[in-house]
Amino acid sequence: MKPEEAARLLHAYVDRELDAAKSLELEAQLAADPALRERFERLRELSAGIREKADYHAAPSSLAARLSAALPGAASIAPRRAARWFLPVAAAALVAVLALGIALVRPGDEEALLREMVASHVRSTLGNRLIDVASSDQHTVKPWLSARLSFSPPVADFSQEGFELAGARLDYVGGRPVAVLVYKRRQHLIDAFIWPGNGPRDGAYSRDGFNVERSSAEGMRICLVSDLNRNELSDLARLLTARR
Amino acid sequence: MTDRRRFEQQVLPHIDAAFNLARWLTRNDHDAEDVVQDAMLRAYRHFEGLRGEARPWLLAIVRNACFSWMQRNRPAELAAGPDAEAAEAATAPADGPEALLARELDRRMLNKAIAALPFPFREALILRELEDLSYREIARIANVPIGTVMSRLARARRLLAESVRVITLASRLQTEK
Repeated sequence: MKPEEAARLLHAYVDRELDAAKSLELEAQLAADPALRERFERLRELSAGIREKADYHAAPSSLAARLSAALPGAASIAPRRAARWFLPVAAAALVAVLALGIALVRPGDEEALLREMVASHVRSTLGNRLIDVASSDQHTVKPWLSARLSFSPPVADFSQEGFELAGARLDYVGGRPVAVLVYKRRQHLIDAFIWPGNGPRDGAYSRDGFNVERSSAEGMRICLVSDLNRNELSDLARLLTARR
Repeated sequence: MTDRRRFEQQVLPHIDAAFNLARWLTRNDHDAEDVVQDAMLRAYRHFEGLRGEARPWLLAIVRNACFSWMQRNRPAELAAGPDAEAAEAATAPADGPEALLARELDRRMLNKAIAALPFPFREALILRELEDLSYREIARIANVPIGTVMSRLARARRLLAESVRVITLASRLQTEK
């Protein structure tokens, strides 16, 4: 391979677009020619630098709204980032909303509380108001919540265990403000409602296709709501309660 | 499932990629929004024609929408493209100073320098480095042979390295004043 050709193919090599035979040839040349090697390194750095530092312009949310209004046909809800997990959640949520509407309301504060939390979970996923503070950093989320509540909820990211902290929001459930941590697992979203108190009932429930897991730890009630399966939801409950 | 639902599921998730490309090509938020909206409506009308991956397909539509928009509204900026390419062809095979140390790359300078690239080079660079598309996909989107994609990318990187160096130097002089 002539030096000019090697120089020309360097870009394709950096872009991993060179076929195997040419790659081998070029690699031999790179090993033999320090100047070429130097160019290759610089080129790779430049490419990495662009990827790391050039602005990536995400679409403003107003654009999605405009589009939603402009597209013909019935609007379904919440476009863009929501989309990956959105459809299964929306389908389940719609069923839940219908079910909520026609379900017999059983007496009892606990039952009402469960339904309130499921409804909150459904509303938040439908309305795209899932997260007030979006961060996987507990040191961001915890102070944000503490500043707005009369208590300081436990906050932790469990990405290592497959439950990624996506952020948090405030909600009003059972007549009190509560913290809601939002976790992601695969395409599922999990709301963890947290407030101070020692509830009488721990355990797993199912309401309208959503699983609910109640537990408590160190004076905090923790209630998980998700369309995630029960076993994995219990795993998160264990992580949250065992953590401290 | 309705067409709209399928569209929302398959195409709309790529709205960020669409906007990113349009924003880099028009260099303006407002124009990019208009162009992406037009492109999305067009994509919706031609949704039947989608085979294979949605993102490159959508980006081709967005790119063409940008190009026509530029032809109508800012033809002068497009004219710089072919000229620059002709100049490229005329100059000796570049023994280029794409040699640029990554640590010299200041974010602001870099963005400025990319925005200053002529349209065909900017387009190739954004599709390659920010959208991570293959040469083949870029060739299809820009409607040129793969060989042209290769030479445009090489040229884009050289121009970029040069202009970052110039901009950096200029700003250093300014601060020394």
